[in-house]
Amino acid sequence: MIEVHNVYKRYHNHHGSDWVLKGINFTLPKGVSVGLLGRNGAGKSTLLRLIGGMDYPDRGEIVRKCRVSWPIGLTGAFQGSMTGRQNVKFVARVHGNESSIDEVMRFVEDFAEIGKAFDEPVKTYSSGMRSRLAFGLSLAFDFDVYLSDEATAVGDKAFKEKAKKAFKDRVSRASLIMVSHSEGILKDLCQAGLWLDKGEAVWFDDINDALNAYHESIEK
Amino acid sequence: MRTHWEVTRSVWHATFMREALARTTGDRFAWFWMLAEPIAFVVIMVLVRELLGRLRLIVGAEWIPWLVVGLVAFFLFREGVLRSLGAVEANRGLFAYRQVKPVDPVLVRNVLEGLLKTLVLFILIAGVALLGYDILPSDPLGAMFVWISIWLLGLGAGLVVSVVGALVPEVGRLVRMLMLPMFLLSGAIIPLQTLPYQIRQYLIYNPVVHGLESLRLSFFEGYKSLPGIDLTYLWLWSLSMIALGLALHLRFDMRLKAQ
Repeated sequence: MIEVHNVYKRYHNHHGSDWVLKGINFTLPKGVSVGLLGRNGAGKSTLLRLIGGMDYPDRGEIVRKCRVSWPIGLTGAFQGSMTGRQNVKFVARVHGNESSIDEVMRFVEDFAEIGKAFDEPVKTYSSGMRSRLAFGLSLAFDFDVYLSDEATAVGDKAFKEKAKKAFKDRVSRASLIMVSHSEGILKDLCQAGLWLDKGEAVWFDDINDALNAYHESIEK
Repeated sequence: MRTHWEVTRSVWHATFMREALARTTGDRFAWFWMLAEPIAFVVIMVLVRELLGRLRLIVGAEWIPWLVVGLVAFFLFREGVLRSLGAVEANRGLFAYRQVKPVDPVLVRNVLEGLLKTLVLFILIAGVALLGYDILPSDPLGAMFVWISIWLLGLGAGLVVSVVGALVPEVGRLVRMLMLPMFLLSGAIIPLQTLPYQIRQYLIYNPVVHGLESLRLSFFEGYKSLPGIDLTYLWLWSLSMIALGLALHLRFDMRLKAQ
C-alpha cells in the first residue's frame, strides 16, 4: 500500500518556479495497478520519481508500506567499465541477502539473452542490449509495486513479446504504477487511473473513466 | 522488510565491491599503478633531494625514512579529500536505487583509500628497511593510532568537501588548487622545524602538520619535532569536520540526490 499525502513539488530554475504538483492526495490499495495520465509536463514522471524515492517532495509525504522498485528499464545506473554480470551483482547486493544473488544473476542472464556479452563491459553494449539487461534486472526481484515510465517498448520484436508476457505475469502477482501514452497497454495492465491536470490529481477507479476524462480535457 | 542497518550494510558491501572493482579494472595495470604511483612519487622526491644535495640535518631521524613517512601520511590525507570530491558526482546514477545515499560512496571510498594507502605504507616500510635505513617504527601501536587519526582527518575533510563541492563546483577546483600549498606547508618534504618562529607560529594551526609530525615522533625515537605538536588538536579538527560533514550530508541529502 502506498499513501501520498498532500504532496507538493517544484523545480527551481532561473525564471521563478511554478509548482509541478500542487497537493496530490491518493492511496494506492494493495494489488491495484494504476495508470498515470496527463499531457506532457503534467508531472507524471515527477510523481513516479517521488514514489520511487529518487526525489523528495517539497511538502507533504509519501508512505511506502511495501517494496517499491526503481523505474523499470533504467539504464543510467550501469557502470560502463564493469561487465553486465558485475553490474547485476551490485544491484543484487544492494537489494537482497547474499543467498539470493546467484539466483538473480541466473535469472537476468537467461532473461536478457545477450550471451557472452554478459561478461563484457557495459560500455561495449548497444542500447538494445542495455535495455534487455535493465529490463531483466527489474524483473529479477520480487517487488510489491513496480514503477514503469514508458518502459514496455524496448528491444526487438521477439524481446518485446517476451518482455510483455513476463511483465503481465509479474503484474498478476504485484501491482504497477505506470506512465504510458499507449492506451492499449494502460487498458491491458491497469485497473485504476490517475489523471494529472494543472498540478492536481483525480483518481478514477476505472482506467476507462480516467481515459475519457483525459480525452475530454484535450478536446476542450 | 529489512532493518535500516541491514540495508545500510548491504549498500556498503555492494558499493565497496563496486568501487574496488572500478578502481582495479579502470584501465590496464590499474591495480599496479594504484600501488606504484605513490611509490614512484616517493622515489622521485628522494632522488630530487639527493641530487640537489640540499641535505638538511634532521635531528633524531634519517632523512629518507623521514621523507617516506611524511609523504605517505600526506597522501593518506590528500586522497581522502580528493577522492571524496568526485564521489557524489561519479555515483549519481546509483541514487536511482533508493537505498543508496550520497554519503555512502564517500564513506566507502575513504575506507578503500585508507586500506590501499596502508598497503602502500607497509610496502614502502619493507622496501626502505631492506635498503638498510632505520624506518621500523619505534612505537608501532602509537604509529597505528596516529595513522588512523590522519585517516579520520581526511575522512572529515572529505565528507565536508563532497557536499560543498557537489553543490558549488568551483569549490572543487579551489580545493584541488589548495592541495599544492597544503603539501608544501604540511611539512611533508620541508622540515618545518628549520623555519623561523615567525612562520612556524602560523603553520602550526594546520592540523595536517600535527598528524605528520606525530607520526614521525612515533616512528623515530629521539626525533626532535616542532614545539607544540599535539594530537588532541588534530582530533578536535577530525571530529568537528566529521560532525560537520555528516550534518551537511543530512541537510543536503535530497539536493544531492535530485541534482
